[in-house]
Amino acid sequence: MTAHAEAAAHGHAEHHGPPPANRSSRMEPSTLGMLLFIASEAMLFGSFFAAYFFVRVVNPDATIVTPERWATWPPEPYEFPVFVAGVNTAILVTSSFTIHWAVQSIRRGNRRGLQAGLVATIALGLAFLLTQAIEYAHVGFNTTDGAFASVFFGLTGLHGAHVAVGLSLLIFAAVRAFRGHYSPEHYHGVEIPGIYWHFVDVMWIVVYATVYLL
Amino acid sequence: MTTVADHGTGHDTGHGPPGPYAPRPRGILMRPGFVRATWCAAAFFVVGMYIVVGLRWLAGWDPIYDWTIITLVGALTAAPIGFLLGLGAFDYWLYWISGRPTLPEDHSGHGATRWQDYFRVNTDHKVIGVQYTVTTFVFLLVGGLMAMIFRVELAEPGLQFLDGETFNGLVSVHATLLIFTFMVPVFAGLGNYVIPLMIGAPDMAFPRLNALSYWLLPIAGVMFLASFLAPGGAFAAGWTAYAPLSSELPVGSMFFNMGVQFAGASSILTALNFLVTIITMRAPGMTFWRMPLLVWANFTTSLLVVLATPFIAGSQFFVLFDRVMHTDFFVPEGGGYALGYQHIFWFYSHPAVYIMILPGFGIISEVISVFSRKPIFGYRLMAISLIGILVLGFSVWAHHLFVAGMADWLRVPMMITTLLIAVPTGVKVFSWLATMWEGRIHLTTPMLFALGFVSTFVIGGLSGIYLGSVPVDIHASDTYFVVAHIHYVFFGGSLLTVFAGVYYWFPKMTGRMYDERLGKLHFWLTFVTLNLTFFPMHWVGLRGMPRRVADYAAEFGAVNMFVTISSFALGASFFVFLYNMIVSWARGPAAGANPWRAMTLEWQVSSPPPIFNFDEVPTVVGGPYEYGVPGARHAVLGDPLREGVHA
Repeated sequence: MTAHAEAAAHGHAEHHGPPPANRSSRMEPSTLGMLLFIASEAMLFGSFFAAYFFVRVVNPDATIVTPERWATWPPEPYEFPVFVAGVNTAILVTSSFTIHWAVQSIRRGNRRGLQAGLVATIALGLAFLLTQAIEYAHVGFNTTDGAFASVFFGLTGLHGAHVAVGLSLLIFAAVRAFRGHYSPEHYHGVEIPGIYWHFVDVMWIVVYATVYLL
Repeated sequence: MTTVADHGTGHDTGHGPPGPYAPRPRGILMRPGFVRATWCAAAFFVVGMYIVVGLRWLAGWDPIYDWTIITLVGALTAAPIGFLLGLGAFDYWLYWISGRPTLPEDHSGHGATRWQDYFRVNTDHKVIGVQYTVTTFVFLLVGGLMAMIFRVELAEPGLQFLDGETFNGLVSVHATLLIFTFMVPVFAGLGNYVIPLMIGAPDMAFPRLNALSYWLLPIAGVMFLASFLAPGGAFAAGWTAYAPLSSELPVGSMFFNMGVQFAGASSILTALNFLVTIITMRAPGMTFWRMPLLVWANFTTSLLVVLATPFIAGSQFFVLFDRVMHTDFFVPEGGGYALGYQHIFWFYSHPAVYIMILPGFGIISEVISVFSRKPIFGYRLMAISLIGILVLGFSVWAHHLFVAGMADWLRVPMMITTLLIAVPTGVKVFSWLATMWEGRIHLTTPMLFALGFVSTFVIGGLSGIYLGSVPVDIHASDTYFVVAHIHYVFFGGSLLTVFAGVYYWFPKMTGRMYDERLGKLHFWLTFVTLNLTFFPMHWVGLRGMPRRVADYAAEFGAVNMFVTISSFALGASFFVFLYNMIVSWARGPAAGANPWRAMTLEWQVSSPPPIFNFDEVPTVVGGPYEYGVPGARHAVLGDPLREGVHA
């Protein structure tokens, strides 16, 4: 019985809080909120992709899209580290499975599994960010080296920032997990950062495919 | 661990010691409030500067110590976060993050009992609604006064007392303030106040997020205004801030880039909150087809905000990167694509004009139905036309680029979609007229504003059709015709709906009645002088007078003198409103719960409403506009078993 139901039953709801709001949707408000936030985030990525394709395709210098033109992306003598980023992709995809494992564990009441899953996900996320930092340091060009570099750092940097945000959310969830919060009934505090983490992961696959492979 | 409560579930145990989030007594420096906000902002400013220096060192830029950039990035990004932290906007979440037990239904920051409660982080949607509305009207006043300054300059040809840069700065800040910190958020304010009431909810879905959304707004406004203090003056590339001009102008432009981020974040978070509230917290029986049209309007607007606003965030990030990190997003020499800015910018900013009018449509639907004592004509079509505008709104952005040199093949499709928007808009206008047809029309102040809105908005809509067609646009682009059009839809459109809404809900918000005679005086002064001010601009525009220029050809002198005089009368009319609002709020006669005999739920509770809106969740049994229909009712309050006693 929730506090509200209890308070209502005893008829003293005056100053302890509102009457419980009617639920007009089966959807959990915080889950819906996260999904809408993700929709908004996807549009933010959309604007960065728009900038990317403006530079690469729409730009008058790029109007002739020939096989050679596509082959010279990025312009000589620069190269994108496709392999390193591929390893990073594998790291991030793996982390999607570990967060799923964490959420499934708490659903079944397995607190150790939740903690292990969160720690593994955070470790993989940190590994991803570290690899990206090293990649930036050795990539051989800087933000000042032309529009190709702008859109490269733009998309991968935006994604890196999202990984950092997702990691923060997971770390907050982990702190609570180790302090004994969450139960098979109440695990939205892990599930919702988890949804965000999956989004970050899927977004990376799109970014990787566009920036490195296309 | 005795109390295991998980934020976000909506459940809590509520047992045990009351203390999970009970604020401990703390000294003035550590207590949430403006003192803590000040030193937190200063501390974050310093830390932010260190981070910028660190990043510049990592990237190997020479010189590392470019103090203008370092101080500005620190002041515009880190300091506002510190301010919010000090104010206490993040306190609850910090408790949550630290792993302490928290109470999701914590109401320690809810409601206002003294005036100081309006100056702190408050989770009550009614308080936030008032905070929003009052703040935005302050920005309206400031932005309007700027218009008075440059109207004096424009009274005669030649340069009188402003130089070109200052003039451009004034025009840019005027537009930016009125768009980003008045027109968009004022509807968020009115919506905040009435939406939970209208759908029978005790509050918004995320009250703390709601408080944060509000406090992001004054930061944006102060940032826009502070740009006047920047070396080189305020941002002067217009509110559209086209790149690469805006990334090459003096650093005042950065205030625009970052201010828009804060205003945008504020409106995205509010919109998200509206959507979740409307979807998950409607009273029993309140189906989508029984929602008042204002709720429908805010629902569609919020979808627009959530999906479109990230694009302006992106565009301003790119400009900022071009300046601070020397990237080449919009720099042709580096392989960038300058027109890309306009595409990305307008992909938000065209939907943004619907963000600034659709909630107004909702207000007008409420007002016209109540004061015609008739059901709204074509209720479902009114809601569907909102969706139509929402969908079409995303497909018209490039009509702002007809003369910018974009791909020719894009012109005609964009023209067609633009003209198509007249169809759902026309549906709404004719529905309002049909609602009034044979109604018992009460010409109160809100109704007068609604009628004024319908007539001036139609003029603005028609000039929009002119501008939407390619040949006329090529002729009229960047002339005063565009200025006339935008002021007819923003001033004659949106602002009149805001006035209608403020007068309409003033009794609900304050519990007092405004002065009807002064309200009518305000309406007639505004309505007449706004037409005198903006209508002649059509003419000088078509004659070729360019906008956003301090000087102009001598032949336009007489008309501009006339416009300047009218604009001062228009400015003066605002003070009638201000006086009426302030004096009535302080000393007006008590209004009673339902002075307009309206059916929607917000009028079925006391004025102002109780702290949690409804003592018991109401049950909705019919449509919201059944005026004059015998026996019809919208909702039953209290215990349905005692039906008939209330309502």
